[in-house]
Amino acid sequence: MNSPPSSLSPIPPPIPVNTHPNRSNAPEPERTLPDPNRLAPEDAYFAHSISRIRSAPAHYEDNFRALNGDVRATGMAALRPETALLRANPNHKDVRRLRGTSGRRRRKGAWKKLLWVKQSYPDNYTDTETFLDHLQRNPRVRPYDFWPLVADSTVIVQHVCSVVIFVCCFIGIVQDRVSPVSIVCWGSVGTAMGWTLWDNWIWREHEETPQATDGTAGVDDGSSSSSMISAANPHGNHAQPNGSTTSPIHGLGLTMSGNESREHLSRQSTDLGGSSEAVRDAATQNTALSASPTTILGSSEASLLPEASRSSLFSSHKSRNRQRLSTVKSAFLIYFALLGLSPILKSLTKSTASDSIWAMSCWLLITNIFSFDYGSGEGADATKFPASLSTNAAVMASTVLASRLPTTTHVFSLMLFSMEVFGLFPIFRRQLRQKSWTGHALLTFALVVVAGGAVGVTLSGGWASAIIGSVLGSILAALAMGGCSWWLISLQKYKNVVIGPWDPARPIIRRHWK
Amino acid sequence: MTYNIAMVSDFFFPQPGGIESHIYQLSSKLIDRGHKVIVITHAYKGRTGVRYLTNGLKIYHVPFFIIHREATFPTVFSFFPIFRNIIIREEIEIVHGHASLSSFCHEAILHARTMGIRTVFTDHSLFGFADAASILTNKMLKFALSDIDHVICVSHTCKENTVLRASLDPLMVSVIPNAVVAENFCPRSYTPRALDYIPGSPADTRPSPVPIGPDDTITIVVISRLFYNKGTDLLIAAIPRILASNPNTRFIIAGSGPKAIDLEQMLERNVLQDKVEMLGSVRHEEVRNVMVRGHIYLHPSLTEAFGTVIVEAASCGLYVVCTRVGGIPEVLPQHMTTFAKPEEDDLVVATSKAIAALRSNKVRTDRFHDQVKMMYSWRDVAQRTERVYQGITGDISAEEFYGYYPGQAWDGSGDRVRSFALIDRLKRYYGCGVWAGKLFCLCVVIDFLIYVFLEMWFPRANIDIARSWPKKRAEDQAGLEGAAQ
Repeated sequence: MNSPPSSLSPIPPPIPVNTHPNRSNAPEPERTLPDPNRLAPEDAYFAHSISRIRSAPAHYEDNFRALNGDVRATGMAALRPETALLRANPNHKDVRRLRGTSGRRRRKGAWKKLLWVKQSYPDNYTDTETFLDHLQRNPRVRPYDFWPLVADSTVIVQHVCSVVIFVCCFIGIVQDRVSPVSIVCWGSVGTAMGWTLWDNWIWREHEETPQATDGTAGVDDGSSSSSMISAANPHGNHAQPNGSTTSPIHGLGLTMSGNESREHLSRQSTDLGGSSEAVRDAATQNTALSASPTTILGSSEASLLPEASRSSLFSSHKSRNRQRLSTVKSAFLIYFALLGLSPILKSLTKSTASDSIWAMSCWLLITNIFSFDYGSGEGADATKFPASLSTNAAVMASTVLASRLPTTTHVFSLMLFSMEVFGLFPIFRRQLRQKSWTGHALLTFALVVVAGGAVGVTLSGGWASAIIGSVLGSILAALAMGGCSWWLISLQKYKNVVIGPWDPARPIIRRHWK
Repeated sequence: MTYNIAMVSDFFFPQPGGIESHIYQLSSKLIDRGHKVIVITHAYKGRTGVRYLTNGLKIYHVPFFIIHREATFPTVFSFFPIFRNIIIREEIEIVHGHASLSSFCHEAILHARTMGIRTVFTDHSLFGFADAASILTNKMLKFALSDIDHVICVSHTCKENTVLRASLDPLMVSVIPNAVVAENFCPRSYTPRALDYIPGSPADTRPSPVPIGPDDTITIVVISRLFYNKGTDLLIAAIPRILASNPNTRFIIAGSGPKAIDLEQMLERNVLQDKVEMLGSVRHEEVRNVMVRGHIYLHPSLTEAFGTVIVEAASCGLYVVCTRVGGIPEVLPQHMTTFAKPEEDDLVVATSKAIAALRSNKVRTDRFHDQVKMMYSWRDVAQRTERVYQGITGDISAEEFYGYYPGQAWDGSGDRVRSFALIDRLKRYYGCGVWAGKLFCLCVVIDFLIYVFLEMWFPRANIDIARSWPKKRAEDQAGLEGAAQ
């Protein structure tokens, strides 16, 4: 209660408190005109009255008081505990003074957004000035631009096209129009070319940062060899900056590290996804090794410190070759494993009816398209969706489809092709997009043309239909990209994110107890 | 003028909780004011049928299918026959629903409107607008509140939230805070003041509280369920830093939940077992005994509509450190609280500030109990709720209840006094959304048909009228009032 002097008062006078969760007592900006981005009370239920004129609040309060004479009486009744305490006071003058003051102050008192003060306003009073004044609409909306959006949509187009190509190849194989061996040969040639290109990029990147050779080489080759097996390792390339920062330690360690330790290092960093911890672990490991050099020096090419950089280049050559070898090794491993598995895969779902197979593979491929990780592989949200879900769905789709094929060779070819299309091709595409934008655009165009042509051939056969298909496909893809981008932009005006003090606050914590 | 009121909610005793005790306290204070109150809830384990609580509060436990955390399955219509029976038996004039997660209450409001009964809804919680669960809940709420007569919210932030969620006229929403039973939350060595006590007068013979020395141990109490939205992560991050920077500080943590393991891990990692005492979950009756062991109450919640627990803590004479979220800043005056942003660093700073303030004996925590007693009482809540009932039944004229403001922009809607005509109700529901509006209209029409059907098959004449609990006599009432004063 805001009545007597504070020394006497049981409760001191109310201080308006800023009720916004994250704003400290910053002064409110003056609002003369209603902000179009701010909701007024009536906007909540009059959808059309966004642009109304706000009336003077003083006038409102006067009217209100004239009408609600006895509301104040209710307010007084609510004050009964205080007056009850005061009634027993022998000093009546004092009481009267207190009451007088409180009454006068109360008449003057503005409404406050507080619950612990007994106010002379009714409970359903809505203060025009403070009601919903902490509401924010669309606070963090970033408007889209048309062309960047179209450019970003190429990633989706690429993936959809590669799925279409895969499906067309399967149909070609099933209908005996295309030999499966030729498809898989072409696919393997493409994969080999892609891998060479990819390897080349990595190599060039190393030459740009010769000091960081060992750290990056170990990590990158690790990821390349592991990517043959586990299809995708988006973190592999991001450890590079970490590798270069810790390069001095590596440079030291590398001069005396032998075959065993190198193998160990690359394996370790691969297993841990090449994260910075892994690099640091490896670094400590290397220093540990250098601390006890006698065990290793015997088997390794011991070199002097001035020649360290040259020898590091040399040994990184060696490590590259070794990694290439291991890549080829794992490629062969997969090759033969598939070869051995194909009879089993062929009969795995043979007893299932064809209708179910078609339906299942359709759903699996749709799952693949929708759960595919279209991100650039950068930042913390790189693995928001498990990339394995998408790859697993695709591999399962091809496994299921493989049971409709007549021979083991067919099955083997299809499986290998699906590995190339769904496992390795996305890695290459992601890398290409980072390397060269022109190459990315050209690849997109090529994929669209090939996919269109493939659909044309599948539908009616012949070169003419292939050309018509490619033209139609390109037009369709361009329209879809442009149309969808435009649609998304035009949908932005419906975006209405409402944020206010009722939202759960996001706690800011510096340390995480994991 | 007294009314027959039915409180409807999924949440009631024997389940413990804030909404449950709100309903109970409000009902019993309304009974004290001469009204007749019954509570309708679903059957709890071992509790079906009719029960009486203290003061003649009659409880109907209706058997119903429960899905999750004591909330019933939303069936829309299946509750209607028994609800109609109860309403007619008890001659109910006002249906008062509680809690927006209770489908029981939403259905009761719909049926009550169909039967031509005035309805009130009390919202106890805050909801966002972003996630799918909130969107669904908000649509449900909009359905229930499209045709409501009045809504009560527990804080101004809650009112803003509810007005936005259910697209209500702000004047149809009253803010009536929760209260505490101050007698149940006394400080440790509390002697009630004599009636002729004058603050600051020489008659104040109570000894000044024992001052806290610079080396005395300060105990910080935390009582909350250990969930993410209660800010347990903040607490886990802040405890080691608070203990490191403030020697002679102890923690008492009561409550259980999924985050308890993280908390214990933190204690083990930092070897703080001797400085932090974990009590596990504590019954509501025990809360006071835990609170009076401490000096500071720490409330790191991330969202809160009202935060009754901080009022309870202040009533126990604890200095309150809390996050500035939801309706919390409205609840207590500044001399009882230190606010922090929901950030680890700020929470540590605020707690250290509070400890320093207590050590310098600047805070008169011994006065908190009497102050809180004057701020919040259930008697006051019941009185203010009664005014809402008077407003919706027309005992206070609409102009007076809602205020007639010629200059105001939103005085145009004459729809605040909600008519029971089906066509008017359909109009209100139709505006709820392109598809939802039509669906809601369909529900209302079906509900109306069921009502007509019930009137034919189970006519009112065949339903017995229950005898009311004998009302207190006028002298008793006067005596009660006198005692209160």
